[in-house]
Amino acid sequence: MSTTPVLQTPANMDASPSPCDLLTLVCLPSLTSEALDATLANLRVAMATQPLLVVTPDAVPPSAEGGSLRILSHRPSAPTHGAWIPTAADYLNAWAVAREHRPGVVLLLGPDCATVSPATLRLLAAGAASKHDLVLPRYPVGPHDALFNSAILYPLTRALFSHHVRFPLPIDAALSPRMCERLATAAQRLTAAGQGEALLWPVANAAVAGYSVFDVAGEKRLLPAPNADDVNALIANVAGSLFADVEAKAAFWQRARLAMSPSRVTDYATEATAHDPNALDLAPMIQSFRNAYTNLRELWSLVLPPNSLLALKKLSLAPAETFRMPDALWARTVYDFLLAYRLRTINRGHLLGALTPLYLGWVASHIRLVGGDAKVAEQHIEEVAAAFEGDKPYLVARWRWPDRFNP
Amino acid sequence: MGQQIESALRESMQRVVVLLVNFLPGLVAFLLAVVVLMLVGAVLAFLLRKILTALRFDERLASRQTPGAVTNVSEWSPANSPTLLVSRVVWWACLLVGIAIGISAFNVSVSDTPTVALLFLPYLTHLVGAALLLIVGTLLARFLARSVLIGAVNAQLQYARFLSLGVKWLMFVLTAAMAIDHLGIGGNVVVLAFGILFGGIVLTLALAIGLGSRDLVSRSIEKSMDRPATNSPQDITFVPTETPPVPPLRHF
Repeated sequence: MSTTPVLQTPANMDASPSPCDLLTLVCLPSLTSEALDATLANLRVAMATQPLLVVTPDAVPPSAEGGSLRILSHRPSAPTHGAWIPTAADYLNAWAVAREHRPGVVLLLGPDCATVSPATLRLLAAGAASKHDLVLPRYPVGPHDALFNSAILYPLTRALFSHHVRFPLPIDAALSPRMCERLATAAQRLTAAGQGEALLWPVANAAVAGYSVFDVAGEKRLLPAPNADDVNALIANVAGSLFADVEAKAAFWQRARLAMSPSRVTDYATEATAHDPNALDLAPMIQSFRNAYTNLRELWSLVLPPNSLLALKKLSLAPAETFRMPDALWARTVYDFLLAYRLRTINRGHLLGALTPLYLGWVASHIRLVGGDAKVAEQHIEEVAAAFEGDKPYLVARWRWPDRFNP
Repeated sequence: MGQQIESALRESMQRVVVLLVNFLPGLVAFLLAVVVLMLVGAVLAFLLRKILTALRFDERLASRQTPGAVTNVSEWSPANSPTLLVSRVVWWACLLVGIAIGISAFNVSVSDTPTVALLFLPYLTHLVGAALLLIVGTLLARFLARSVLIGAVNAQLQYARFLSLGVKWLMFVLTAAMAIDHLGIGGNVVVLAFGILFGGIVLTLALAIGLGSRDLVSRSIEKSMDRPATNSPQDITFVPTETPPVPPLRHF
């Protein structure tokens, strides 16, 4: 059973498409010819009257153009690597085209974009045309999906940058020209250093620049899977990138009172899992957490305060039926790892590796709590995010005075 | 009798003084070489630090490296500053060159005292080399032990700590053997002892892993032995299995 996603229209934005004279630049990744045709068809339906310029790295079929839609085959200046989400090179390439054609809106679509519905495309473009600098889609996900986002990316971004954006690492995004330029500037530094595959954090960038950020409820889309087979390496890569970005923007988020953007969406579009949640055996995950506690306790003790270690010890001794990681403990743990990342208490590669079993412990606790209920899952994720917000003063205090007594 | 004793004592005293007089210039030359090279090193390190700071060397290097990667130079640098690392390396290099020059000057000036030259001086240089080997080996052992521990825990291996300890001791034994060999102590005994210890640790690890995965291996062998018997087409009976699909977890 799946919940029908509700397409929500921003309060201060017209439901109608953006003005006709506003050029929308659509940057596509490399696609098969069928996928390209499907994407173009969706774009035509979504923005029939608007001038559209579609940029693709592939060869353009002669019959593809027509009406207000133009297609440009463009060789990317920064080499892209076909990542599962847009990377620094993609943002830089988008700006390279945007600078030349001066569009009103830049629509950057990720892999498998043929499955993005016309309604979602329309909402994204309309959001960016309505003076929002960054518009991100909130696709419906099941209770067992996007778990790393729910555990760390969303709560941390929300607590530190005060934006209720459910997916801060976007697959698709609509950008204003100035937002596109800002992201390209950040991407330029990375691509110049040969890190075109590095991740960018648009929400944090927009928050620091004081740009407006908006997320819209999108219809279901095929979420691209990461290429990496090694989940541990992927987790370390994404967490490391986020921690580095948070460290770089410390001067911003340490401000005492950041105006929290109001949560415009109270009912997140979610879908129930198609599988029987009871079929998922949590025992190996819990056993894995216990094994990690036994082996990594000494390493964790370099990062975590005694209180957290005691709570983790209790958790490791708890029977599987009552295995539950408190939200406050999880928030404090992530903050302590972030502090250790900043202070380089231990090698950063080791630090991020030591975070993985704790995250898997949180996953086991989360799945045990929510089962297969998407609504309960969303509620729990919001509670986790609230715990991160509540504990932010701890992070700020220890960031400034790391040597202060910490029981 | 008294005169003979007095004369013998005077002569031996004279020999001591002559020896000391021969020894002192060498010592002064050694100290002078070390102090001068230390000063040169300090000046070079200062200049290098100023130049690299002006060139924003740390920032440039940081922008070229992946955050959190093990290969990051800043991870290994004192106070996380590659500039500081470079300047300290230059200072220590100058100091080591000074010691080497001092020792050779010392050697020349006391070359007529073969006992000291033959026994003491080679050991001084070898001692520095052995100390460096021990320091680097210990650091590497700790780093590798942690890497193995975290990797094994994330691979959900039950014997992660044991594996990590094994790697750590392998490195310690290897480093100690290299250091002792560098000092020239023990000769073949050290090589033999190292071979036995190293081989013993590797054998222990192999046995531990083998015994730990005994069930896995036996299941695998059983499967491969059963397969030919059930593979003949007439024997195949299709048994429909209704195992419910396990709900997948998506981390991203």
